[in-house]
Amino acid sequence: MKSELELRGVQQRFHARGVADGYITAVDDVSFSLAASPPQIVSLVGQSGSGKSTIARNVLGLQKPTAGSVLYGGKDIFKLSRAEYDEYRRDVQPVFQDPYAIFNPFYRVDRVLWKALKKFKLADTRAKGLELIEESLRAVRLEPENVLGRYPHQLSGGQRQRIMLARVHMLRPSFIIADEPVSMLDAQVRKHFLDILLDFQTKHGMTTLFITHDLSTVYYLGGEVMVITKGQIVERGPVSTVMHEPSHPYTKLLLDSIPQPDPDQRWTSRIAVDELERVDDANPAADTKPEAPIL
Amino acid sequence: MSDSVLEIKGLEVVYSTNRGDVKAVRGIDLDVRRGEILGIAGESGSGKSTLAVALLRLLKAPGKVTGGSVMFHPAGRSPVDLLKVHGEELRVLRWSALSYLPQGSMSSLNPVMRVHDQFKDVIVEHAPDRKEAVSDMIPRLLAQVGLEPRVARMYPHELSGGMKQRVLMAIAVALEPDLVIADEPTTALDVTIQRVILQSLADLRTDFGVTLMVISHDMGVHAQLADRVAVMYEGQLVEVGDVRQVFKDPQDAYTRQLIESIPKLGRRAS
Repeated sequence: MKSELELRGVQQRFHARGVADGYITAVDDVSFSLAASPPQIVSLVGQSGSGKSTIARNVLGLQKPTAGSVLYGGKDIFKLSRAEYDEYRRDVQPVFQDPYAIFNPFYRVDRVLWKALKKFKLADTRAKGLELIEESLRAVRLEPENVLGRYPHQLSGGQRQRIMLARVHMLRPSFIIADEPVSMLDAQVRKHFLDILLDFQTKHGMTTLFITHDLSTVYYLGGEVMVITKGQIVERGPVSTVMHEPSHPYTKLLLDSIPQPDPDQRWTSRIAVDELERVDDANPAADTKPEAPIL
Repeated sequence: MSDSVLEIKGLEVVYSTNRGDVKAVRGIDLDVRRGEILGIAGESGSGKSTLAVALLRLLKAPGKVTGGSVMFHPAGRSPVDLLKVHGEELRVLRWSALSYLPQGSMSSLNPVMRVHDQFKDVIVEHAPDRKEAVSDMIPRLLAQVGLEPRVARMYPHELSGGMKQRVLMAIAVALEPDLVIADEPTTALDVTIQRVILQSLADLRTDFGVTLMVISHDMGVHAQLADRVAVMYEGQLVEVGDVRQVFKDPQDAYTRQLIESIPKLGRRAS
């Protein structure tokens, strides 16, 4: 288990139709590091198209950045030896957005858990394996008898997503890369999921990179937050500081765009967002009213 | 002519289950005034979406309408009871007089058709006389929702969630309908895009006089957009009123609870 995951000057460009030079830069010179100890939750927040999911793919080694490097324990993840790569694969675990897409509908849900057991040789006997699986399911507040032996379509979205967390629990990685894991869950199930992540942090010392567009989720998780826009991280700090005293105009714009439940505090200015070139800077400074509370 | 676009009287919808009928909408009376933005608020399971699909006649079994009437007054046509029209008569109303802006913009567009062709589909089907004008209409419609003309050449997978939602908005208003029913139009979107969508919805009313019925569980959305808000709880309307009155002086205990339960987030007044 290595102690640090680091992005150094990561840039990711994609071919694109209809833009000036034929490329868009999804991630633009991003550098940050995540420490395994002390375990922490770092949220990466930004709007759609800001490059957050691309960063997740880079960190997980699913996409090789066009420039810069992703370092695990000081080594470039794309230049690891076989053994090192296996360790990295185990130690950095993903949780994705869509709780439907990760399961093969023809297999029982048990399969994702058994596969992980076998791949990482967590148990020598079937009985021991089952014991581990049951323990992990309970850790994510699922009753093994209610979910084992079932097919994905027989479980709810929240249950499926928690099975992925059970898989993470079994593997005890140092790092979880969670890419919008709760955006398809409703409010109550969402809270449940977040509580489990917080549990993992305190009980099992896992560090989570939590990618989301939802500010209330970030607020709930606490810890640190990084704000990304146009592929660049513009602000990083403790959630309470960033939410209450945002320093970057984009963060201010983001906070100001939470619709306030007060008809007397309607937005008076307009913003424009071109999602292909991503956010423009529709003069966010003039747009924010620091004195106006967001309820 | 009445100044209401829609007059809902005693609407009842049930879902049949093995254990008997579940009443999802229990006797709703509601008028939608021409040119207004009416917000329908309520928690999950309160019957908001059932109300919408029942009005649009998109209710699927085991759901069925068990009572009431929904008089629809399209401009320049004779009023009809939406619950009683069928077949061709209903098809003619759709898109041209009554349109729908769904929540799941991800799955509402045809993945193998360019945006341009999706517009054409609707226009040719519902207003064949405007077939010739389609190519001129599309850039104008896209501009209305703040999209560039080149979006017309793209496929849905090339668009972000917010852009897809705006394409749907443009299609929904393409034939200048009297009423657009929007079901959670911004729920899956992030806050800045949500703000842009809400802006565009408000523009549609200001610039084209579209009447909007916006269903959302987010009280913030109603506070920002609606003229009037109707609050639903367990299939019934507990309160209907001017947005300011509903927020500042809620008459019903449930509305008060709903407003008090809005999470406090972001910069505080400190």
